[in-house]
Formats: sequence, structure tokens, C-alpha cells
Amino acid sequence: MPNQRNPIAGRVAIVGLGHTVQGELPGRSAEENAVDAALSALADAGLTTADLDGLISCKSVQGQANDVAVGGLLGLNLPYVQSLDYGTCNFSLHLAVMAVVSGLADTILLTYGANARSGKFDFGKPMYGADMASAAGLVHIAGRAGLALQRHKAVYGTTDEQFGMLAVGQRLWAQQNPNAIFRSPLTMDDYLAEPYMVEPLRRSDVTMISDGGVAVVVTSAERALDLPNRPVYVSGIAEFAGVRGEHNPENLMRPWLKDSAQAIWAATGLGPSDVDALYIQDPTALWSLQMLEYYGFCGIGEGGPFLAEGHTAPGGDLPLNTHGGQLSESYTWGWMHVVEAVRQLRGQAGDRQLTTPEIGMYCSSHGFVKAAASIMSVNPAVGR
Amino acid sequence: MREEQSESMSELTPQDDSLAGPYFEAAAQGRLVVQRCDSCKNLRWPPLSGCPDCHSRDTTWVEVKPSGTIWSFVVYRRAFQPELRSQIPYTVAMVELDDGPYLIGRLVAGDRAPVVGDRVVADIGDVDGRPTVRWRIS
Repeated sequence: MPNQRNPIAGRVAIVGLGHTVQGELPGRSAEENAVDAALSALADAGLTTADLDGLISCKSVQGQANDVAVGGLLGLNLPYVQSLDYGTCNFSLHLAVMAVVSGLADTILLTYGANARSGKFDFGKPMYGADMASAAGLVHIAGRAGLALQRHKAVYGTTDEQFGMLAVGQRLWAQQNPNAIFRSPLTMDDYLAEPYMVEPLRRSDVTMISDGGVAVVVTSAERALDLPNRPVYVSGIAEFAGVRGEHNPENLMRPWLKDSAQAIWAATGLGPSDVDALYIQDPTALWSLQMLEYYGFCGIGEGGPFLAEGHTAPGGDLPLNTHGGQLSESYTWGWMHVVEAVRQLRGQAGDRQLTTPEIGMYCSSHGFVKAAASIMSVNPAVGR
Repeated sequence: MREEQSESMSELTPQDDSLAGPYFEAAAQGRLVVQRCDSCKNLRWPPLSGCPDCHSRDTTWVEVKPSGTIWSFVVYRRAFQPELRSQIPYTVAMVELDDGPYLIGRLVAGDRAPVVGDRVVADIGDVDGRPTVRWRIS
């Protein structure tokens, strides 16, 4: 049974997955993309909208596809309906787990939808208005990510070739994923030959802008047993918010990731060596470097040599972002990481299927202020 | 002509920002200032309407030593806004001031490429008609 340390372990399961084609979907709104994904997730779960009693919509970066818009198109009147400004799917999943465990709702649809590519959203504009940093020309996500990477290189000696293993390794995974936007080969020589975009970051270190929708259906462990898919249980969740933000010393290194890491390992009684498939939200490859270290997959500052050893690429002992991640598969604010984790755990990942993974983990960060992590397993006892 | 006009209206610089106003007013006089909490005396950057440490709203802008160390830097080789196109490549540094706070600012092109840990001094003056604090390797 669940314990006090981790009262949610094994009580909630992911039972449905759905997504649109990722890439360019002209003429389709963010809400329509979310709804298309939702219908496909419900079908995957063997459910209809009549079976739902909860909806949690994650707004796009542009603020679209909220609960009222998506729920309206789906015609829903439900006991529990919510919108989140936070992406990555982790925050939505955690809210859903809390809603199920608290009894607010039993079967919940989680949605995300965006049309940033065909809507030509300008990611080079300061997202929250002009500020002192944009005045200096620090714009686009690559700016702050580049500052953190340059610091990492200087302090720990991380090299371009070590860091490039993230982009190169994930491209290898993406080549086995028909849904991935970037599937052409990317060798280390190709990577190193790319010019810097925002030095020390190259184009391949940064995600692409893409349109698309993703949806996930979550329900109680009891109900999951009556549904067609093999349930993937949520074994543990943790968050930590460093919302003091830039007023934290060295905030770009995201020192508060360690607090989320400590919380999830303490709650579940698990450790990094228990993870069979790892997913890290990666709008830039820097996110993966930081989270590999803070979550303890390698030591702080040792991410470079660890990556160079090939652990995270196909054939390695810590498969990372086996769909290609945000660098090669699609943007979708990290939501496809959860889809892929569940696919792998179900054994439905096609050519890139890992050998019977039992435990998957997803780590993400909202901007430079929030950390979240989830551990998922086909075994409901994991984390108890 | 129209394009020139639209480019002169910066999308990147805060306009009529009451919070950051004193910083630009001081820069126009050649001085580097940050906020100091009147109650706990902590220096803070970027500006906030209150102190995140003691929650006092009483604040004074005080002059700080215009020198520090490069905590990190990036070199933009792509312009993400039209108004930056003519400036490529340009370098933005995060500078750890000798007095404590971290400031983000443009690095003035020098004789050599910067490295993390380089000592820098503030170079305060008008850039395109706007008071601007830039940094120069010392």
C-alpha cells in the first residue's frame, strides 16, 4: 500500500496517449491541435468524453488552448477543469495525480496544443516585455542557455565534443522514430562543423519551433485495470520552485534542481541506477546536461565526460530521450517526452524499443525558475 | 525610411520603465547604480519593487564600483531581432560586480576574445541616443 513518504505511489495510471503530426500544420488553431490529440488519446484509452470527469489544459507558450477553449470544443461539463501556464507536461501530470488521489476527479484528460510555427510566433522577442537583459541584446532562449553552458565549460572543462553527444545521440534515436522532424544523420563531425548560433550553442543544440497537439489520459489504478492498455503507474512526483529567480546567486545553473532531485529519490526510495529510460525536457541541450548532473546520473560538473562515454545514446546503459527529444523530434514543450516514456514502458516504441524497461523518469524545468520530475512504472509497487 | 523609423523604436529596451528609470538616469550621468534595501542594506539586481530578503519597500539607488568579473558570456552570431542585425556578432556578458550583484550587459569588442573570469570595467555612455552601460575587459 502507499506509504506516508509517498502517498501517491501506484495509485494513478497513464492509460491513454494521443498526438497530432508534429511540424507544420497550417490553418489549424492551437485549440484544434489539442482537440485532435485529445480525441486520439481517448480512443487509445478505450474511452469517450462521456467517461471523463476532469480536464487539465496546459496553455501554449503563446497562452492558447486553455481549459475553457479546449473544453468548450470538446463540449465538456465536468467536476474538475483547470488550466496551467506551466508546460513540460510534468506540472499537468502532477496536478492530475493530486486530483485523482484527493477524489476531485477519477479520469482526467490532459491537453497541450500550439501553432507557434505556422502562427509565426517570434521567440526572439522578450517574452515578458523588454527588460535590462533584452536591452543588452540577450534575447531568445539560446542566450541564457549559452551563458550557463559557457560557465559550465569554464568551470568544469566541458568540451564541445562532449556536449555535442546530446544532439548527436538524440539524432540517432530520432532516426528510429517516424514522428521525428529531424531524422537526417548528424555525425559528431557534422555537429562540430556547424557554425555557432549563440556561441557556445549551435543550431543542433536548440529545439525547432513546431505546431502540434499532445494529450494524455490519466485515471485511478483501480479503473486502469478495466481499460485496454497496459497501465503505466505514476510512482513518484516532485517539484521545486526557485522563483527567487535571478536574485539567486548563479541562478542560470538552476541550483534548485537538486531540491527536486532529493525530493523524488527520498519519496520513492529509488536512485538513478534504477532508471531504465530517462527523459529530459530539452528546449536546449543544456537542460539535459544540468539535469543529468543534479538528478545524480553523474556527478556535478561530470556531465561532459559522462556524455562522451556514450551512456545516453543508442546502446548505452542510460537511454535518454529515445524519441529524439526536443532537439530532433519536435518542440511540444516537452509533452512528447511523457508519450515516449509511456510507449517504451508499454513496449510500443517500434524500432527503438528498449528491452523490457520497467522504470521511466521524466525531468523538466519551467524556464529558469521551476523544476519537476516524475517516475513512472509498469509495476504499481515501485515507489512504495 | 519607414523601416528606419520602426528600427529606431527599440523593442528591446524598456520604455518609460518606472522601476528601471533611475538606472538609466544615473547612466546618463556616467554613474552605475543598483537598488539597496534601506532596511537590510542588501544590494539587488535586477530592480524589484520590494526587498526579497526582508520585504521592506524602502529602497535607495546607490552607486556601486563600476568593475567586476565575467561570470559568463555568449557571442550572438545570429540576429533574433531586426534591430540587432547590424550588430552581429556581438557579445553579452553576465558580470559579477565587485560589490555583489550580477548584471547582464553588452561587452565592448576588444583586442581579444573574452574568457570567463576576465576583469571588466563599466563603459558608460550614449549608444544610439540611449544611456547605456557596457563592459570592457580591463
